[in-house]
Amino acid sequence: MRALTTLVNMLFRSWHRSWTAVFFGILFPVMLLLVFGSIFGAPSTPNYSLYVRNLDINEHGKASQLSAAFVEILNNSVFEVILLSPDETPRQTAFAPLRILTIPKGFTSQLINRTIQTRIDIMIDTSLRFVEMSGGEIGPEERENITRGLSRLRAFRESIAAENVKLVLEGSPDDPTLQPLAGVIHTLASRFEMALLNATNSIDLETVTTVKRQLRAVDYYLPGYIAAFVMTNGVIGVSGVVSDFRRRGLVKLLATTPLSKTTWITALIISQTLVSMILLTVMLAMGWIVFRISALPDLYSLIIILVGTVSYTSLGVLIGSVLKEPGAVSALSNAVAFPLMFLSGAFWPLEIMPELMQQIARLTPLYYFHTALRQTLIAGLPSEAIIPSAVMATMTVVVFSLAYYISKWKDF
Amino acid sequence: MTILEAVVVDKITKIYGALVALDNVSLRVRKGEVFSLLGPNGAGKTTLVEILECLRTPTSGEAYVMGHSIRDPAGVKRIKEVIGVLPQDFNAVDELTVLENITLVASAKHVKSDVRPIMEELGLWEVRKRLFSKLSGGMKRRVGIAMALVGDPELVFLDEPTTGLDPQARRETWRFIRNLRRGGKTVVLTTHYMEEAERLSDRVAFIVKGRIALEGGVTELVSRFGGGYVVTIEADDEMLLRVSEGGYAIEKQSAGRAQVRIGGWAEMVKLYTLLQSHGFDGVIEVKPASLESIFLSLVGARISETGDLV
Repeated sequence: MRALTTLVNMLFRSWHRSWTAVFFGILFPVMLLLVFGSIFGAPSTPNYSLYVRNLDINEHGKASQLSAAFVEILNNSVFEVILLSPDETPRQTAFAPLRILTIPKGFTSQLINRTIQTRIDIMIDTSLRFVEMSGGEIGPEERENITRGLSRLRAFRESIAAENVKLVLEGSPDDPTLQPLAGVIHTLASRFEMALLNATNSIDLETVTTVKRQLRAVDYYLPGYIAAFVMTNGVIGVSGVVSDFRRRGLVKLLATTPLSKTTWITALIISQTLVSMILLTVMLAMGWIVFRISALPDLYSLIIILVGTVSYTSLGVLIGSVLKEPGAVSALSNAVAFPLMFLSGAFWPLEIMPELMQQIARLTPLYYFHTALRQTLIAGLPSEAIIPSAVMATMTVVVFSLAYYISKWKDF
Repeated sequence: MTILEAVVVDKITKIYGALVALDNVSLRVRKGEVFSLLGPNGAGKTTLVEILECLRTPTSGEAYVMGHSIRDPAGVKRIKEVIGVLPQDFNAVDELTVLENITLVASAKHVKSDVRPIMEELGLWEVRKRLFSKLSGGMKRRVGIAMALVGDPELVFLDEPTTGLDPQARRETWRFIRNLRRGGKTVVLTTHYMEEAERLSDRVAFIVKGRIALEGGVTELVSRFGGGYVVTIEADDEMLLRVSEGGYAIEKQSAGRAQVRIGGWAEMVKLYTLLQSHGFDGVIEVKPASLESIFLSLVGARISETGDLV
């Protein structure tokens, strides 16, 4: 027991005195959480850039009153309007999709004419309904006058040359927001037209704020990063320690003492568990201080982290024991850890990945680790963590057994 | 095996695939002696000591360490309690201090006693708080020796303890090894330095290509192989031919360099007269017969500074 505690103590000391280990084990995940949590996690209103080419201008280049009012409405909505001169074409300078709305020449006159036509249509329709509903209260002579008046109105309507105003929205076929934004523009145009008709809305939309907080990006990253870096600390860190101890002759020296292989592997697991707990504490503290995520780990979360630590530490022991060359150990551990990190969905929500990548993510063991941790730590749904935990536990038994039986304490 | 023997190796063979690393090796190490396994790189020295340290399983044969069989699990457990090991090319943990490194091994050995005495003996107590990475090469090797000696083992295996050290650090290490012998420890030393083996050992075994070429006490071997002196002559081939014709056995000849063994100074004068009569004006070097000359006689090659046969 004393040998185990001393070994754990020394392994932990050598870890915290190594700047590389502390940086990649603790500081790097904290940096990632702060950077990505800030970039994607701030609950701000999305703002979509929209170039507007207004061709409805007078001879002095000044926009007509109605077209300017419409642009103002666009600018007060979700759009960030950037005005273009009639012959100007914007250059693609960033990854933001390029959207150009063209307001045609004659926007004002066409809109006014169409509005008058609409008003006449409403007037005729209303008058006919009134005549129909009044029955015998209206005499034949009055009826005749109404009919004559409506005919004149129709004739006037026909005399107005008017076509629908045609706005043109240009955008990339790769821009998934193009169609939804076209719908927004259409709605705004309709409301603008309704305002010109002095019509009032008949349908109101009430937005009610629910008590339950919506999960933010940082809620996704936090358990994802904890799981990913428990994994890298185990796979890359432990394999490096084992390989380094072997290269220095320390494993041979320890193997000539009464110390057993079981004690050696157990010490590696316990020291890594300490590292995982530090990682968890620091990440949760940063999450609370910067993003106000009040996630307190329950016993289930701690067990999940322990199982993950055992699993990936065992994998590190396995890699460090199987390969002799430190360079080969480093290459293999990186070749295992990095695809796991990026394919498992630990770094970004699975929903934004293509279907094929989602399928691949579900085949990676790390997916089950961060999913189980998210369900318990963030979502508060421990029942949803049962299946992922079971997958993790199975993997842990398999990898630990392999590490135990394949790692050598003799005949190196 | 007698109670006076620390190690008995009985017909040990170790085969790796097609490579026979050890071929039917037998030897004995007495308690309280410094025994050196001498040989070039790849001769099988480390394989043999690692079998005795219970780190490798022999293909066939048996060995006993302090009376315990290396094939018996209970024996292995007992052996691990009484040996101290300095592995080849050993380095402790860079991020731990000297004291922490030694404490690490002490706890692995289940040592309850204080590590301070051994650290003071090796001059490490003053630097106990210094990180291992900050030590000089000689100090690092001292830490390795301290790690081997912690727990007061009865038998100490030192695998190439002075390889890569500067002359001063090497001499310091020799002093520690002599102190071990004085303290009654049994030391099994592997080395490719003839001078080291000769200065430190009571007995040596030459190991070449997995076989024991020769085993015995240092003085015994020197006298068994004629004693006397070894004369190294640097001359051209014609002059060396004259020496050969004069009845002297040339033991080694390479690129104008040859060695001749002589019994005493009278014979030396005779040889010098012969050389002078043929107009010799080169360089001669006279040394008492040594392990190096014996190895040369047996194997027909020297061991270089780096441990290779030349």
